[in-house]
Amino acid sequence: MALVEVEDLVKHFPVRGGILNRVIAKVNAVNGVSFTIEKGDVLGVVGESGCGKSTLGKTLIRLIESTGGSINYDGVDITNLNHRDMLPFRRRMQIVFQDPYSSLNPRLTVRALLKEAITHHKIVAEADMEDFIESIMLKVGLRADQKNRFPHEFSGGQRQRIGIARALALQPDFIVADEPVSALDVSIQAQVLNLMMDLKDEFGLTLMFISHDLKVVEHFCDRVLVMYLGHVVEEMSCVDIHENALHPYTKALLGANPINDPDDRRELTVLEGDVPSPFNPPPGCPFVTRCPKVEARCNDAMPPLVDKGEGHRVACFVVND
Amino acid sequence: MKPKFLRSRGAKKFFRSRIATFSLVVIGIYAMIGSAVLFFDVISVDDTLQRVGPDSTPMFGEQSLEKRLRDVDFQLARLDTALNKKPEDVEPAIAELALAERTISTKPREELSAEIERAWVSYDTLAEQKDEVEFEAFDAKKAELKESGVEDREEIQRIAGNAADASVAELVASEEFVSSLAQLEQIVDDLYAPLTGWSAKLYDLRRSMGTDRQGRSIAIRAIFSIKIALQIGVVTALLSVIFGSLLGAAGAFYGGWIDHLVVWLYSTFSSIPSLIFLIVISYRFIGTEFESSLFPVYVAFCLTFWIGPCRIVRGEVLKIKELEYVQAATAVGFGKFYILLKHVVPNTMHLMFINFSLLFIGAIKSEVILSFLGLGVKNQPSWGIMIRDSAPEVVNGFFPQLGAATVFMFILVISFNILSDALQDAFDPKHVS
Repeated sequence: MALVEVEDLVKHFPVRGGILNRVIAKVNAVNGVSFTIEKGDVLGVVGESGCGKSTLGKTLIRLIESTGGSINYDGVDITNLNHRDMLPFRRRMQIVFQDPYSSLNPRLTVRALLKEAITHHKIVAEADMEDFIESIMLKVGLRADQKNRFPHEFSGGQRQRIGIARALALQPDFIVADEPVSALDVSIQAQVLNLMMDLKDEFGLTLMFISHDLKVVEHFCDRVLVMYLGHVVEEMSCVDIHENALHPYTKALLGANPINDPDDRRELTVLEGDVPSPFNPPPGCPFVTRCPKVEARCNDAMPPLVDKGEGHRVACFVVND
Repeated sequence: MKPKFLRSRGAKKFFRSRIATFSLVVIGIYAMIGSAVLFFDVISVDDTLQRVGPDSTPMFGEQSLEKRLRDVDFQLARLDTALNKKPEDVEPAIAELALAERTISTKPREELSAEIERAWVSYDTLAEQKDEVEFEAFDAKKAELKESGVEDREEIQRIAGNAADASVAELVASEEFVSSLAQLEQIVDDLYAPLTGWSAKLYDLRRSMGTDRQGRSIAIRAIFSIKIALQIGVVTALLSVIFGSLLGAAGAFYGGWIDHLVVWLYSTFSSIPSLIFLIVISYRFIGTEFESSLFPVYVAFCLTFWIGPCRIVRGEVLKIKELEYVQAATAVGFGKFYILLKHVVPNTMHLMFINFSLLFIGAIKSEVILSFLGLGVKNQPSWGIMIRDSAPEVVNGFFPQLGAATVFMFILVISFNILSDALQDAFDPKHVS
């Protein structure tokens, strides 16, 4: 059963300028994205910097208001809910941020941070508060005696655990993880990823995992969404990405991943050209400036996402033929 | 059991800094004196207007012959004037003479008059004796120098003056003169009821820093001014920081027309030169019922001072509101106003501290300028008024009033600076040591 259904989601950021401060341009951060996430699934979202992954995640849980399209959460359209009606959904959808340094208020102790959120949603009674906070801290691998410390007294990995604890404290069923490990050391990355996997199983969470690291996504996710300049170019299952990938951009992304086998050498396909300006994207396929398989028709229209079976969707004229 | 605040990490860090603790003590003393004057009326405005000695006399330091004779002259003259009034006016005139703790002796009036008469005779003898010796020595030296062919007039004046001073010193050293001077002072002392203990100390305090051009106590005026300074500093700095910060934070956080309004307000206000603005506002209150209170000063300062904190806090909030912990709070489902108060404003607290201390000091300094122009504090002394009053004294080489006002101000200002600096270090959670 689908937990999250996104239909044709659009987000434009206006660019203001001139004497009258009028909208002179817009950045198309998310351009008509549709997908669904099944209950208990982990959806990976990959793409290079600036392709709109984070905007997609934040628009999805309504930290950023969308320009168009609709978001259905557990059968309810939450796109235009007001603050009060949104509140129960706020509890159910949480986010873990990329930067563990700016995502924690430096003036709140871990306890204050968690208690504030728990009290707001009345998760547990006041009498059970301390026990509940301590149990959450233990779950994410922090000691209960650390609850009166300020964020600056923790390391980056520990701070990320606090961020996860804050999300978990509300007992959500959907968490957007916005590049949760990319600011951490490699050794800590593994710890945090394993922690998230354990928690996912324990709490039956549904995750949207935003990353630019295909290796991590392959390891961690059930399905993957490849984005390029605000568009979904390919969506597929995470099983055997290397064999199944069809879109030229996905292939290029996979090709850029190092392989830890010196004998397994392959031709390195380096993408030529630049990403088009998001202010003024080309009328056709956004990948047209760099695509190795570009044809004349690619310049004219945006290729539609075509289902190739088993939910594998690709947006490319050449591949879909 | 200490209160929670004193056991906190920040407080421990704060008290580890010795100079910060010291400045806190100094500010505490100021605050105590200020509130004693404000709430318990320890020193009234009338006290600051009362004559306590001869004019423009520094009472501290070496008690020269000149000073002692002038003091005796002053004490005798004011008693004499009071006693020589019409019979029905004598009693109130004498009562008026009484310094807060020093009253006229309750001896019969005739006896008092007789004693004053006796004192006058003694005073005249001593003064004449002094003058005679002084001028004789001066003239003799002058003649001697002229004879020996010294032409420079200034040179002659200087050397002769030194000779006169030397002869006066010789006179003071003579036993006979000293004992008659001491006798005279005893007579004057006896005209008053004897002073004991606490009131004697208060009387000494009144005269400790000397008197201004009108014979008023500089010490009392400087101490009374602490109240004025603290009142103006605390009220204006607190109000401007609160209003300025809230306006700036709200503008930056909500954006849209609120932000436009706030930016328009502060750019309009800051385009008016603040001194002209202060003068216009103070002038506006002349002739109203608030004229002699501090109200015009509060209004003028608050209207100009809120700009600084508003601008700085607005800039900081623009930065903070994009941080991820604010987004996280939105994701939890808190309302915008709660996020503003709980997550945004507390993180601008250090800026408010800095601004408070800057504005506190700024208010005291601006008060001096306004009072100097006659637009600030009215009908009561303040450090600004004291500095204004000391202008003609300084021309004559008399500095105690200017010195007292500036030293009192300096100590308060520097203590406040050290305190706010230490507070900032101690309570900034990011600052680990």
